[in-house]
Amino acid sequence: MSRDQIIFIIFLFIFATINIFLFGSGSLSADWTGFGTFIAAGITLSLYSFLYKDNPLFKFAENLYVGVAAAYTLTQVWYTVLLADVVNPLSALDSESLSNLWLIVPIFLGLFMLTQLASAKFSWLSRIAFAFVVGLGSGLTIPRTIAAKLLKQVETTMQPIPFDLFGLDLLIILVGVVTVLVYFFYSVEHRVASKIGIWFLMISFGASFGYTIMARLSLLIGRVGFLLEDWLVLPLPLF
Amino acid sequence: MLFLRRTLPLIIAFVMGMIGILVYYSPHSGAQALEQEVTMWNRIVFAFALVLGIYSLMRLHWGRVQRQQAGWAYSFLVFVGFVVMLIFAIYNNGQGPLKPQVIDSGPFVWMFDYVQVPADATMFSILAFFIASAAYRTFRARTPEAAILLVSAIIVMIGRVPIGGLISDSVPAFSQWLMAVPNLAATRGILLGVSLAAIATSLRIIFGIERSYLGGGEE
Amino acid sequence: MKEFLLNIDRRIIFIFVALGIIIPALGSFNLPIKPTKNVRSIYDTIEEVAAKNGTILISFDYGPGSFPEVQPMALAVLRHCFKRNVKVVGMCLWPDAVGLAQQAFDTTSKELGAEYGSNYVFLGFKTGFHSLVINMGRDFHGTFPQDLHGNNTTELPVTQNIKGLADFDYVICLAAGNSPDDIWIPYGQERYKFKFGLGCTAVMAPDQFPYLQSGQMNGMMGGLAGAAEYETLVQVPGTATEGMRPQSVVHLIIIAFIILGNVMYFLYGRQKGGVQ
Repeated sequence: MSRDQIIFIIFLFIFATINIFLFGSGSLSADWTGFGTFIAAGITLSLYSFLYKDNPLFKFAENLYVGVAAAYTLTQVWYTVLLADVVNPLSALDSESLSNLWLIVPIFLGLFMLTQLASAKFSWLSRIAFAFVVGLGSGLTIPRTIAAKLLKQVETTMQPIPFDLFGLDLLIILVGVVTVLVYFFYSVEHRVASKIGIWFLMISFGASFGYTIMARLSLLIGRVGFLLEDWLVLPLPLF
Repeated sequence: MLFLRRTLPLIIAFVMGMIGILVYYSPHSGAQALEQEVTMWNRIVFAFALVLGIYSLMRLHWGRVQRQQAGWAYSFLVFVGFVVMLIFAIYNNGQGPLKPQVIDSGPFVWMFDYVQVPADATMFSILAFFIASAAYRTFRARTPEAAILLVSAIIVMIGRVPIGGLISDSVPAFSQWLMAVPNLAATRGILLGVSLAAIATSLRIIFGIERSYLGGGEE
Repeated sequence: MKEFLLNIDRRIIFIFVALGIIIPALGSFNLPIKPTKNVRSIYDTIEEVAAKNGTILISFDYGPGSFPEVQPMALAVLRHCFKRNVKVVGMCLWPDAVGLAQQAFDTTSKELGAEYGSNYVFLGFKTGFHSLVINMGRDFHGTFPQDLHGNNTTELPVTQNIKGLADFDYVICLAAGNSPDDIWIPYGQERYKFKFGLGCTAVMAPDQFPYLQSGQMNGMMGGLAGAAEYETLVQVPGTATEGMRPQSVVHLIIIAFIILGNVMYFLYGRQKGGVQ
C-alpha cells in the first residue's frame, strides 16, 4: 500500500469518526440540513486535499460540481427566460397580444445558433445569429463607451485645479492619466513621461495585488468559518 | 450560396450595428421602440447561446466517456451531477417544468446549497494558499519599479484591515489616498486605452473588417 | 538554515496561512472597524431613500465563488433596508446568483418581518446583460412582466409604480465580475442618471475608483472589509466583522513572509542569482 493510499484511508477514517460523533451527539441534526452540512463539509475537505496533491477525491468533487452548476444555469435559463419570455407568451397568444408574434425572430435566430451542433450543411446558419448578436452588441457599445467611459472620464480628469490639497490630488491624477497614456500609446520615445507612467502603474498593480490577496483570503475565511461553526458546531469563541 | 454564407452575415452585422448606434442618438419614439425590440430579441438569443454552451460542455464530457479516455469516470461524474440536478429542476417540487420555479425549498435548492455553493466557494478559496506562497517567492524588490509595487501592496494590505487603524490612523488614510489618487490615475489611463480599443474593434466588426466571429471553415 | 529560509517549502506557508485563519477565528478579540467614506455614502443614500419611503433595486451579480465576500454585503444592505422600510426589488444578471439572493432575502425578511410583495420583490435571473439593462431602462414591466414566483409586477405594491430604471431611488450592484463598469454604468446609469452604488469583491475594487471620482458611482463596498464596515454601520456584526480578525492576522503573516523573502534575497539570494 502506497503512502498516499494510507493517507487517504486515514483521512476517510477521521472524517467518518468526526461525523459519527457529530450526528451521535446531536450537533448535526438527523435531517436533510444535517446531512447537507455533512456533504458540504466532505466536498470542502475533498477540494482542500488538492493542497497536498492532485488526487481522486479532489477530482470527484470538482467534476460533480461542474455537472451540478451546468444544470443550475440551464434551469434558470429555462424558467425565467425560455418559459417566461418565449413559451408562455406564445402559448397565450390572442388578438390583443399579436405583437408577441415577433418573438419568432429571436427564436429562429436562437435555433440558427444551435445549428452549430448540426451537420456542416446547416451550420452556416449560425453565422446569421452570431452576426446579429455581435453586430448589435458592437453598435450598442460605441455610443455608450464614448459617453460613459471616454467623455465622462476625460471631463473629470480635466477639471479646474484649486490651490489646496484637493487641487494637488487632482494635479497628481492629471499627471498620472497623461503619463500612463504616454507610456501606452506613443511610439515616439518620451523617457521621463513613460517612466512616471510606469511608477503610477506599479502603484496600481501593487494595490491590485494587495486587494487580490485580501479577496482570496476572505474566501478562505468564509470556508473555514463554515467548517468550524456549521459543521463542527464549535462553541465559539473558545478564548 | 456565398452570399448567404458570407455576405448576408456581414450585412446583418452592419445593419444591426448601425441600428445600435443610431437609436441611441434618436429621441424619436419609433427609434426607441426599435431599440427595445431588438435588444429583447438579443436577450432571447443569449438564452439559446447559453444552452449551446452547456450542450458543448456535455458533449465534450460525453465524448470522453464514449472513448473511455483517461479519467473518463470523472467525465461520467459530470453527467451524474448534471442529470440529478436536472431531474430535481424538472420535478420543481412537484409542480413540473411549466410552472414558475420553486426556489425557496426542495431538492433542487438543497443541491445548490450543499453541493454547488461549498464546491464553488472552496475552489476559489484554494487560491489563497497559492497566492500567499507566490507572494513570498516572487515579491522581490529587484528594481525600483518592483520596490514601488511591493511597498504599495504592503501599505494596502495593512491599511485595508482594522489592524492598520490600530497602528496609526494615518495608515488607513494613506492606503485610501493611494487607491483614490495614484491608483485611480493609472486605472483611468488603462480604462481610456481599453475604451478606445473597444470602439475601434466594434467599428471593425460593423464595417466587416473584423470577421473572426464568423468562425473558420468554408467562406 | 540559510537554504531553508531562502526556499521555504510552500506547504509550510500553507500551514501558517491555515493557522493564521483558524486560531483568530476561534478567539474573540475585537478590532475597531471604522467605516470609510465610500461605504458610508451607500448607507447615507439608503437613509435618504428611507426618508422619502422610496424603492431601491439590488442587482445580484455574483456566484458562489465569491459568496463569502459579497453575501455579507447583501445581508447587511437588506437588513438596513428592511429596518428602515425601504422597498427592495432584487434581480440577477448571473444565473447562479438566484439561490444566493433567495437565501439573503429569506434570512433578512424572517429576521425583520419584511413581507413579500409589499416590502420586497425578487425577479430572478434574465439573460442579456446589457440588453436587459437597456430594456429595463424604459419598460420595466415589459422586461419583467412577472416576478420569479409568477406574480404580475404591475400588481405587486413594490413594483407597480416602477416604469423604468429612473424610477428607482437607488440602484446597488453586488458584483463579482464586470457588471458595474461594463453593464450598469454605460447601459443604465449613463442614460437614466439614477444614483448608483456598488458592493464588489476586493479583486474588482481598485478598478472602480475612476467611477467614484467621476460621480457615476456614489459609494463602494470593496471586499470583506467593505462588508464589515457596512455591518458596523447597521450595527449587526456578521461574518464579515468576524472575518476581520483572521484577515488582519493573515495579512501580517503574509507581509512577514514577503519581508523575510526580501531580507534573504538581499543578504544571500542576489549572489546566487535569486531565490528559486
